[in-house]
Amino acid sequence: MKKIVLTFLVVALAAVGVIGLSSCGGSGNDTTGGGSSSGSGTTAEGGEGEGEEGGILNATYASFPDYMDPQLSYTAEGWTAMGEVYIPLLTYKHASGAEGAEVVPGLAKELPKISNGEKTYTLFLRPGLKYSDGKPVKASDFLYAVERMFKVNSGGSVFYTSIVGAEQFAKTKQGGIPGIKTNDKTGEIQITLVEPRGTFENELALMFVAPVPQGTPNEDLSANPPPGTGPYMLVNVKPGQGWEYERNPEWAKANSKAMPEYPTGHIDGAEVDVIRNPQTQVNDIEQGKYDWMQNPVPAARYTEVKDKYEGSQFIVRDTISTYYFWMKTDRAPFDDQKVREAVNYAVDPAALERIYSGQLKGTQQILPPGMPGYSKFELYPHDMAKAKELIKEANPSDMNITVWTDTESPNNEAGEYYDGVLKELGFNTTLKIINADNYFTVIGNQSTPDLDTGWSDWFQDYPHPNDFFQPLLAGESILQTNNGNFANFDNPAFNKEISKLRAEQLGPEQESAYESMDEEIMKEAPWAPYGTRTLDTFVADNIELESIIYSPTFFEYLTSFEFKE
Amino acid sequence: MTIDPQPEAVPVAGGPGAAFPAAPEGVSPDRSPWYLAYKRFVRNRLAVSFLGLFVLIVIFVLAAPIWADNVAHTGPNESHTLQKLRVGDEVREVVTPEGRPIGPQWFEAGGKFFLGADSRLGRDEMVRLMYGGRTSLFIGVVSGLITTLVAVVLGLLAGYYRGWVDAVIARILDVLWSLPVLLFGIALGVSLAVSGLQIGPLTIEGGSNWIPIFVISIFTVPYVARPIRGEVLALGEKEFVEAAVAQGAGPLRVMFGEILPNLASTIIVFFTLNIANNMLFEAALSFLGAGVQPPNSSWGTMISVGEELLTTQPLLAIIPGVMIMLTVLSLNIVGDGLRDALDPRSKVRLEAHAGMVEPEGASV
Amino acid sequence: MVRFIVRRLIGMVIVLFVVSVLVFLIFNVIPNSPPAQRLAGKNATPTLVKSIEEEWGFDESLPEQYVTMMKKVFTNELISYSPRVSVEDRIKEGIPATLSLAIGAGLIWLFWGMVLGYIAAVRAGGWLDKFLTGFAIAGVSIPVFLIGPVLIYFLTYKIELLPNAGYVPLTEDPWGWFKHLILPWTTIAILSIGFYSRVLRSNMLDSMNEDYVRTARAKGLSERQVMLRHVLRNSLIPIITLFGLDFGATIAGTALITETIFSYEGVGYYAAESIAKLELPPIMGVTLYGAFFVVAINACVDIAYAYLDPRVRLGTSAA
Repeated sequence: MKKIVLTFLVVALAAVGVIGLSSCGGSGNDTTGGGSSSGSGTTAEGGEGEGEEGGILNATYASFPDYMDPQLSYTAEGWTAMGEVYIPLLTYKHASGAEGAEVVPGLAKELPKISNGEKTYTLFLRPGLKYSDGKPVKASDFLYAVERMFKVNSGGSVFYTSIVGAEQFAKTKQGGIPGIKTNDKTGEIQITLVEPRGTFENELALMFVAPVPQGTPNEDLSANPPPGTGPYMLVNVKPGQGWEYERNPEWAKANSKAMPEYPTGHIDGAEVDVIRNPQTQVNDIEQGKYDWMQNPVPAARYTEVKDKYEGSQFIVRDTISTYYFWMKTDRAPFDDQKVREAVNYAVDPAALERIYSGQLKGTQQILPPGMPGYSKFELYPHDMAKAKELIKEANPSDMNITVWTDTESPNNEAGEYYDGVLKELGFNTTLKIINADNYFTVIGNQSTPDLDTGWSDWFQDYPHPNDFFQPLLAGESILQTNNGNFANFDNPAFNKEISKLRAEQLGPEQESAYESMDEEIMKEAPWAPYGTRTLDTFVADNIELESIIYSPTFFEYLTSFEFKE
Repeated sequence: MTIDPQPEAVPVAGGPGAAFPAAPEGVSPDRSPWYLAYKRFVRNRLAVSFLGLFVLIVIFVLAAPIWADNVAHTGPNESHTLQKLRVGDEVREVVTPEGRPIGPQWFEAGGKFFLGADSRLGRDEMVRLMYGGRTSLFIGVVSGLITTLVAVVLGLLAGYYRGWVDAVIARILDVLWSLPVLLFGIALGVSLAVSGLQIGPLTIEGGSNWIPIFVISIFTVPYVARPIRGEVLALGEKEFVEAAVAQGAGPLRVMFGEILPNLASTIIVFFTLNIANNMLFEAALSFLGAGVQPPNSSWGTMISVGEELLTTQPLLAIIPGVMIMLTVLSLNIVGDGLRDALDPRSKVRLEAHAGMVEPEGASV
Repeated sequence: MVRFIVRRLIGMVIVLFVVSVLVFLIFNVIPNSPPAQRLAGKNATPTLVKSIEEEWGFDESLPEQYVTMMKKVFTNELISYSPRVSVEDRIKEGIPATLSLAIGAGLIWLFWGMVLGYIAAVRAGGWLDKFLTGFAIAGVSIPVFLIGPVLIYFLTYKIELLPNAGYVPLTEDPWGWFKHLILPWTTIAILSIGFYSRVLRSNMLDSMNEDYVRTARAKGLSERQVMLRHVLRNSLIPIITLFGLDFGATIAGTALITETIFSYEGVGYYAAESIAKLELPPIMGVTLYGAFFVVAINACVDIAYAYLDPRVRLGTSAA
């Protein structure tokens, strides 16, 4: 008995002593997300020009990508992570801002030749390309990748169902895709569409159809991704925890020679850890434990970080996104245009800017700034009195409405704000807040009861206006489940215009047509758009902030990171 | 359990003021046990003062509309993001353009934003604290009532009928008791928050406060039912029950006429402690997003919202937490005091514990 | 005795079965977001949704889906919907973290509870005694999610003494492991130290009036020997059983909240995450794991208690 007590006392004393000592020990927060070790340290190898070449980047994401698989991933995390590992036939120019929206050749020699009433696209694969495992890239690998994408039920399928035979293949998974013909000897790839499609070049530049070696299994390969063609390759992937990049040996040997315009990248590699707490990430960057955080700085630290580091380690980035409140136009009370106009007058983007801690720029258009086809107009300056008047005139029969929003801050606060505005207009509202992972599924299901109005956002898939109009406002996009046209907006005149513009190649004429369509649709006000989101890049003080390229589609390019001297 | 009015002091293990008082002067020792219990309670200064605190808290939250209308001039869910406050010569923003809510104003702005704004939505924290308290107390008390009611019925049935009725009820209670309560509470709370509940003709909307009441009641029934069942089983052996049955009393008469009155003190004590437990449970659920749903607020949701702003406005998280603590503390002390007053011979135990443990002697 | 153990084990199995059925029903019967639709993403087509349903077996009947899921649980094939990771792997990764948290906190509160309770019993009525009473009642009244943020605010932000989040494996960095655990341990331990010290104290005070203690004193043993060898030992038995129950409850409940507050990646954190996302496979995995722990510990406690209490051992069950 005594022995037990004695042991306990010793342990307790030791514990107290240790705790006491810890107050002298290092302060701050060490964190590791488990999994791969975070070796700090920049192994410098010679310097040329502004920054140093070489070094291993220590990066952190707040969540692991939805998939680490080129045919499957459909989130910003996945595209940023893999954008330079899997190069498709076409790609985007490596530049920030509007310049980065230009489609340029990737694995293909040149931009496609379009023929046959704009239905056939012909490209030639550059010779001598190899995957990171040494296998040569063949033209038929493209067909394999497209088939794989359908077989794994990828969310990107919708962009490619206009290829001849693709729709059938998507249903049956058999019979191949007759619309794609390839010739491995000449490297020719010929794609025939069912109808002209002006967005197709953009879609060829997405990772969904980046070639992968034939024989790559038709299942989610996040734990062991297929070999790629880019300057870096993925190694040591631990789903949920982290992964690493190393230089792709075949890049220096073969691919960079075949694709001279594509950057090689300064750093030798990177180690990425998933740290779920954004506050911890910010602390780690400030202390130099990590060099870069992929996700934006959380609202609670935004002002502080911006004030301290803007210009040296922090830069605000515009995105091509629209945040809006949708209203179901096919049922009371929002089937009355006056009511919808009233909502637009009542919602005040200025208030929402504050709710987003300044990370939002107020707009009232469908297309955001930076998207071709954007023009600023002000149909509904904030005027609560006018809004109330319109409601009185309209006198809607059904004043009981349900307002929907998701849990992710500050969207939930935006939803609560909207709920308050509607109450002020006299509606009897019920607010429902759904977890962010399930939100779109719930509001996208037409059988969910009481879908009256709610929050939504949309980030571009690629810089073409059709990417906003078709999925969100075209009649054909109204689905029973997985609906994206939350307003159930179905106007035959606009549907026709959307289809027409989609078929044409994007030029100044089309851009101005989109501009007017934006304004015309907003006159009918199926939405109350309120802003476009800004994100940011936050790096540690050993990284060259200016050299980082921020693509509208892939965000920070891994090849543009370099360490300071 | 009957309390025999003996003047002999029975040794009691610890506990504040649990000694049995001598009969008051000029009063016959044959007073009703309730009166004696009352006297004992009143002598327990600790319990009395915390009862007073609890009453103060209740008054505080009931005064919510008075404060809201006359002092703060705003409702709990009204957003004032773009508003400015005039304080003397200064003009202060309720929410700065960077999204920082204003801190406590105390009486500088005439009582508006007494505790500051609650978040980027610029709502009055003090008003929300009062209305949130109403929600928390309402849910705690109502679920306590439901739980106690159900537990008493189940306990009576099981203890009286014994046999297979007891076996079935005991099994169900056992299973419910073994469930990881928090996990299930969150799972049910989150699912029902979306879809609402429909049992036969009764429909509860997803965002209603009745959903957390329902969830909390279900999972706390075993904690009250098992001890009550134990007591009924024990009581059933006593002679007065036998006598009543021999006199031809039907089951209802026996259960409600003979056994129930003897359970009264246990029920009172458990009810009080149960409210405390339920309030903690509701706060935990709301904190995790599985309890009260916005825009309704309770002290639990306020802590969750305040946690985000912990580094800039720590009071937003701490004050609701302290309110919960004070309320639960008061209820626990009062419950303890009630137990001492009503049955000074029972061992002093703190029962409103996160994993409510039954008193000794209950069957395994 | 054997019969008793067997009965308890059967009881365990029944409870786990009921738990699995309840979890399954909660997430399949209450309408929320069907996983096939969720997986299909933002640009889905009906064809895509249908293909996903076939791929994952969501088009089968509910009982069939239940059986399939249970099979996967036992063959370690349970996979969450998004991201597609093995549930059992995630749980296994989180177990060291959660056990570090729970066992550490448990030992701390048990130890300090015993020490303080012993002292309070020996010096009954003294200031320590009164302080502990207050501390105990306060402990069971404070919500965990108040203590946690308060500690975080004062000890990691105002004074940067300790890290505010995360878990470091013991094998990787023992010092870091310890530093990261101090606050979570304290948060959990504060709740129970007072309570346990009071229980020990009241048990000891009761025992002190027993006849056998009088005998021991009469035999001439020193007061300290009487306390330690007789009073303390007998008072510990109910404590151990109480601790077993509380420990199980901690793993299944308090640890979850604490891990969320401290972004501490154990099983509790994973559970909270999955429940928020309404992801059935991880929820099933974590709930069964939690229920198993609770039930197993309860069973052990019951068996130990039964062993010690001859009335139960010999078969006169009061159940």
